[in-house]
Amino acid sequence: MLFFRGFYCVKCSIFFFIISIIKTSIKMDETAEFDASIGGTEHLPYTANTLKFAASRSIEIAAMTESILRPSKTKLIFQNLPVHMRRRVMSHNAKRLPNKLRAGHLEQLKKSGLPPKQKRPSRKYRRRPSNLLEEYNRRQKNNIWLETHIWHAKRFHMIERWGYRMAYAPCDKAFRACYRATSAHCLIQDISYYTPVHIMGQEAAIKELFSSVTSNSCGLGICAKAYTDGKREGSIHLYEKNTYPFSYIGKLQFIWDRNDKSKSLWLFVHPSQIKQVELLLTDLINDTFHCTEKRRKLMNNFSENVKIKFLPLTFNRFRMTGPKSHAVLAHSIKCIDNLEKIKENKWIKNLKLSNLYLNERYNYWQNIKNATSPSQIPSNVVVGLVVRDPRLCRPKHRTKSVIENISLDVKPYLDVPTSVSSSPLWDCDVHDSIKKQKLSNTQFIEHITKTQLVPGEINIDDPILQSIPIVLIQRPGSQHSSKKIGYGSGWDIIIPPGYGLQFWQTFIMFGARSGGHRESEHLALEMGDYYLPPDSKSGKEEEKRIETELRNKYFRLPPSKRVNYRKLGIVTPFICPWKILLTDWSDSSVNDFFVLRDRKLLQTLQDCIINKKKLPQNENTASCLVPVYLKIAKKGNLKQNAIICMPEEGDLLVMPQELPCEDPNEKIRKQKRIEHRRQLKQLKRRRNKLKKAEKQVCIYNKSLKCFLSFKYVKVMRELWLPSNIKSCRYTCSRQILGFLPQAGYSFSESRSCGVGFIAFNALNTLLMKKLNQVLVRNVSSKKYRLANICLKIDQ
Amino acid sequence: MADENITQKKEEPKKKFKRPNKNYAVKKRLPLRPVEGDNVIFITKKTNFKAQLDKCCDLLTKGEKEIILHGLGAAIQRCCNLALQLEILFSGTYQIEVNTGTVDLVDDLEPLSDDLDFGSQVRHSSSIHIRVFRTAMLGANQ
Repeated sequence: MLFFRGFYCVKCSIFFFIISIIKTSIKMDETAEFDASIGGTEHLPYTANTLKFAASRSIEIAAMTESILRPSKTKLIFQNLPVHMRRRVMSHNAKRLPNKLRAGHLEQLKKSGLPPKQKRPSRKYRRRPSNLLEEYNRRQKNNIWLETHIWHAKRFHMIERWGYRMAYAPCDKAFRACYRATSAHCLIQDISYYTPVHIMGQEAAIKELFSSVTSNSCGLGICAKAYTDGKREGSIHLYEKNTYPFSYIGKLQFIWDRNDKSKSLWLFVHPSQIKQVELLLTDLINDTFHCTEKRRKLMNNFSENVKIKFLPLTFNRFRMTGPKSHAVLAHSIKCIDNLEKIKENKWIKNLKLSNLYLNERYNYWQNIKNATSPSQIPSNVVVGLVVRDPRLCRPKHRTKSVIENISLDVKPYLDVPTSVSSSPLWDCDVHDSIKKQKLSNTQFIEHITKTQLVPGEINIDDPILQSIPIVLIQRPGSQHSSKKIGYGSGWDIIIPPGYGLQFWQTFIMFGARSGGHRESEHLALEMGDYYLPPDSKSGKEEEKRIETELRNKYFRLPPSKRVNYRKLGIVTPFICPWKILLTDWSDSSVNDFFVLRDRKLLQTLQDCIINKKKLPQNENTASCLVPVYLKIAKKGNLKQNAIICMPEEGDLLVMPQELPCEDPNEKIRKQKRIEHRRQLKQLKRRRNKLKKAEKQVCIYNKSLKCFLSFKYVKVMRELWLPSNIKSCRYTCSRQILGFLPQAGYSFSESRSCGVGFIAFNALNTLLMKKLNQVLVRNVSSKKYRLANICLKIDQ
Repeated sequence: MADENITQKKEEPKKKFKRPNKNYAVKKRLPLRPVEGDNVIFITKKTNFKAQLDKCCDLLTKGEKEIILHGLGAAIQRCCNLALQLEILFSGTYQIEVNTGTVDLVDDLEPLSDDLDFGSQVRHSSSIHIRVFRTAMLGANQ
């Protein structure tokens, strides 16, 4: 019936149409009657079943609706292309269209007159390739380029950050598409800027080395039994020496490499923290003489035994996120099962062949290959594989990869064999020979077009192309039912140098969608993590960068279009003043602060918030920030730097609004402006007088004008946004508890969410009032909204 | 064969699960999924009921010959409700066929202290698989 309801109009019209046909036919054949009542042969039924009637005409109805929905084409060919395939001036330059559409496009163009022929490019342009490499090398001097740089530079907005030139966001406005890729498909990012640090030495020595810079309360240590066998990747929070919980540096990923000779450790450090980590580690090793007598002996041993190497850009690291990333990987990786196939390769010459475990690796990969999502595989597992050159197994067109033969047996996903997790990739000597033996793309194409029996045909077991060791690392994503299980799960792939682009292109051809740095930040927000926490140096620098960016943008606007934050009761719209906030909520002044990362304490805090209980007292509560993940309860949209406020009585029933505050500087600004204009006018008049008298411009006068306007701008900015702030707790009608530096619409929660920090004492006061909801307000809005507090406990 | 395996598995991990060990944090993995496709819908407790019903209706009115609904654990009741709603809405044109079963779920056991290794456990959960298939000719887009 639903169907008929939908097509009611169509059905009616057809019904009348058929009746009118019958009528005309009756008129035309007057000689031979049809109906029995007027002398014909046929007996017509008295009733007609509409259902049957319409069903027997269903084909016509379908055809008609089809033609209504899709009228004959009126658009040009290039207008029918999907958004991501459109290019600038496509209609003029046929070469920007896909090859198969060009002929049709030219036909269409002929009807409307061909565009003027394009000019021959300048000689300078035609000669470019010879200088291109030189130019590229020059440009790489300032900022390091990743291996996939040129691929990205054609398709992405590039930014300079932390000494690297990295992709920020794709040019085709694919924000939501990138989210969809993380939740339902596969998003791939090049994160080769994470710097590997190789630490060689005995396990005990390394444990001692890290004991003063990490804390056990934040999670498992670096030498936990779970990690030392090299089967899983772990992560630790790093602090300056003996300063825990203050002076946070950052979160590092680490993998133990378990050779038979010795164990060694690989750290992967975010580029914003690499300088700090480098200083810290070299300090730890050299700083033995200041220790007590007892420890000196131990430490002296370490300084000899432990060696640290910083190896930026030794590996390519690609990050795949999303359920389909497993399918993409399963299609693009062809694992090698026995030694015979790679005997020719030069890089295995110096390795012990018994340690390659090719068969075990092949079998394990074959077992887990058919999973439908990476989150079905043991969490953080490390898998070392030896695979075929990725160029040998590319599809002709970009395809979506789908896993076909799914088995519902859970056995292969339960355990990880030890032999699989080691990899020859960790041996740095191998890299050079791999790089030397690599066929460049030109050589590869020459090889397959000229030497093969059927030109262009690719043989998967081609012995000329060497096989490559790679390492896969699983990321578990969300594992708690508070967030969609498996969201954010994926694979990290570590690839030897030189092969970055080859692998990248294969992944793209198998349907991975590329993302940039913006996606990393957004993924952190969706997961409720904080990308660079404010108690670290890197986080502070990032905050400052964002502040100057927003500030400059704000002052580029004409005064009439600027939001007057003073009137909205906001003192610092572009940065969150943590120290001032903490000082306001404690008795004494706070010089340094830290973010709470103690797992047990966070767990108890979570229980307290749910049960609206008083928080346990701790040391350092005055300088402690609690990381919170806020979800809007009802209506409202959160933006960057929103403020978290304390609800007052009755606020939970009727959402309050901020009353306009007084802006004491408004009058002063007006006066200053008038004064400044008068001054400028005066100067101009004087200049003109001098000009008439001496016929030359007084230089002194001009520079005075510059000086005056510079000073004026500075004073005015100070009047718009005063920089010396003493307190921020009572700036608006509700008390401020904390801030949300990162907030926005979260697609996975289908509501606005934000990650931020609340002062410990403020949270305590809130819970003492028997409340576990807070008010939030955007910096440019008057309306308060209700939000629920969650704590993010996972590492 | 299969039965033996299950009984073997049950013995060890089930004890662990019933008395949650203080040394481990239990973390859930995504359940293994049967064949995926456009016409396969996994019913969840979180997604809005109406939204999933609309999705099914859309698929059916578009002329899908059959859709398969999977429900797991607490979502079984929702899954049944949805299938019955569909039967009412498309009365006469679609029929439902129900299968029940048990699905193995894997949990990660993350150690909370340094001297323990990762582990995993298998849980079992009841599941329902409902096939909604067309019986009468719908007409359009055959």
